[in-house]
Amino acid sequence: MTSTLIETSIYAAISESIQAEAKRILSDGQVSTIVGYAAARRKGSAQPIVITDASDAQKLIFTPACVNNLAVYLTKAKKDIPKKGKIGIVVKGCDMKALTGLMGESQLKREELYLIGVPCAGVLASTFAPSQELTDESLAPKCTECDAHLPTGCDFVPTETPLTPELEKKYAVEIARLEALTPAERWAYWKEQFAKCIKCYACRQVCPFCFCEQCLCDRNKPQMVETTPRPAGNTAWHIVRAMHLAGRCAGCAECERVCPMDIPLNLLNRKMAKELKELYDHEAGFEVTEKGPLTMFNEKDDQSFIK
Amino acid sequence: MQKYISRQNFTKLLDQLIATGTRVVAPRMNAGTPLYEPLASSAEMVMDQLPRRSAKEAYFPVCEDIMTYEKEGQKVSITDIDPARFPETVLVGVRPCDACAIPVLDAVFSWDYKDEFFLERRRKTTIVGLACTTSDDACFCTAVGLSPADTKGSDLFLTPLEGGGYVCETFSDKGEALINDHTSLFNEPNNATPLPLAQPYTEKFDLKKVKVWLDEHFEDSSWDEIALRCVGCGACAFVCPACHCFDIVDEGTEKAGKRRKNWDACGFWKFTHHASGHNPRDQQPKRYRNRIMHKFKYYDDKFGQTLCTGCGRCIRVCPVGIDIAQIVEEISKK
Repeated sequence: MTSTLIETSIYAAISESIQAEAKRILSDGQVSTIVGYAAARRKGSAQPIVITDASDAQKLIFTPACVNNLAVYLTKAKKDIPKKGKIGIVVKGCDMKALTGLMGESQLKREELYLIGVPCAGVLASTFAPSQELTDESLAPKCTECDAHLPTGCDFVPTETPLTPELEKKYAVEIARLEALTPAERWAYWKEQFAKCIKCYACRQVCPFCFCEQCLCDRNKPQMVETTPRPAGNTAWHIVRAMHLAGRCAGCAECERVCPMDIPLNLLNRKMAKELKELYDHEAGFEVTEKGPLTMFNEKDDQSFIK
Repeated sequence: MQKYISRQNFTKLLDQLIATGTRVVAPRMNAGTPLYEPLASSAEMVMDQLPRRSAKEAYFPVCEDIMTYEKEGQKVSITDIDPARFPETVLVGVRPCDACAIPVLDAVFSWDYKDEFFLERRRKTTIVGLACTTSDDACFCTAVGLSPADTKGSDLFLTPLEGGGYVCETFSDKGEALINDHTSLFNEPNNATPLPLAQPYTEKFDLKKVKVWLDEHFEDSSWDEIALRCVGCGACAFVCPACHCFDIVDEGTEKAGKRRKNWDACGFWKFTHHASGHNPRDQQPKRYRNRIMHKFKYYDDKFGQTLCTGCGRCIRVCPVGIDIAQIVEEISKK
């Protein structure tokens, strides 16, 4: 089977627009800091960068290797980014959903941000080298289901329009496969996946919604979740996290991208999102709302489970 | 001693070892991820991919029990884990970047306190190294003075040949014993051409210069530039063949439980969090600085060795693209 190339030629023009806008807002003092992406040493690679000087604006880029959800740097769990005055941030549509959620949870104020939106045709899957060209195969699985190629509600968005072919929705297909299994088979699948976990907490550290200043799982008095990287504690950790994110996670898939053990963590989050859609007609990340369906009671809520 | 073994005899060797009760640990796929794990059969082995985690876990597992306790009324009984019960092991297909780290770790595990959990496994393990024929742009073993054919740490070293099979060279009594116990599977070396070696990142770092800079720059603005983006996970340390910090936890109930030794990482906020609430490494750049200092200064000060073999794993897994090869190279040019 031949793979289909994803058109990313607009990324060069987008990079130039980002640079010009960043230079302008840093020079005229509209923002004190910008969080964006810069090229890194490995061929084709990119990494997050924090700039405070207009002369560094030329370092900013957008390429298929700009995979990170930079919203994580604005959360209170990551205290080290200077937060004086307004902060500029480069956001893809999926990242914007996280910012929307963080605003709803009173973690960020819209007026303290300058949002540079990116028209995005997709980014690379973590299983491919950064130099790989973007195709329907090398595309990050989340991008096959993207409904936010053009971020909304930004202060600045380059004028380019991404071409986005209709693709097989990878998570939907995989969730359907898992749903068709028996509970015992499904349990065997997740047991095997969780057994690989080494408790490096990369999933937690990159998650914009894991902003607790002290994670419950880091506590030992009392110990809520076994900290040891063994099957019981691993399973508890990933299920606690999936439940905590239900109705909040908008699917940036950073947890899954960074897992060094290839655990398909976003499947858990997508499954929860599917349940929330079916039960409460709720989708995270589209509007700033203070409370999600799991944190409030509504008389219209499904009560069929009460017998 | 130098011998030849065909690909077919090599799989026979592993299956014979497994059949006679020796634990054979080699790269195999675990739910889609290559890891060094015990084999049930030689057919499970995958030699063409660098395992995601290093071979250190053959000596220093992700998690191990070191003691169990039981309490009945006022009576508490404690049972130590006996390292004498660790199995005889042959660790196969170890890439030089992993094998070279093992003697480096000997220094710290046999220093003032002799860690019998590590050392007894070490005594009972024969390491079969494998010359490396594949690399990517994260590999930099040559930059830290090693090579894709480095035999340091190996008891027996395999060099793959064109058309299959390996040249086997021994570097210890353990390596010779492995051949002598299975002589019918080995032949005299032939003229077959070795497969071309991997060609990683070649520019050699001046590690002396790096250390001189580190000696004088504990406080420096570069640490912020390097590590402001660090998100504080433990991925780099956990995939590293040389990182060796661990935490000890007691887990169980009031009636019974276990004391366990688990991998730990200096990137974690909790790593230096004192009971008082004070944290001397209160910002992420200070934690990342420790990673570089430990690898290229402290371990050198104490044991005269470098705590990095250039495997590139931390570069590949870092969620935010922190590149230790680039950092060390830049320091060497300061």
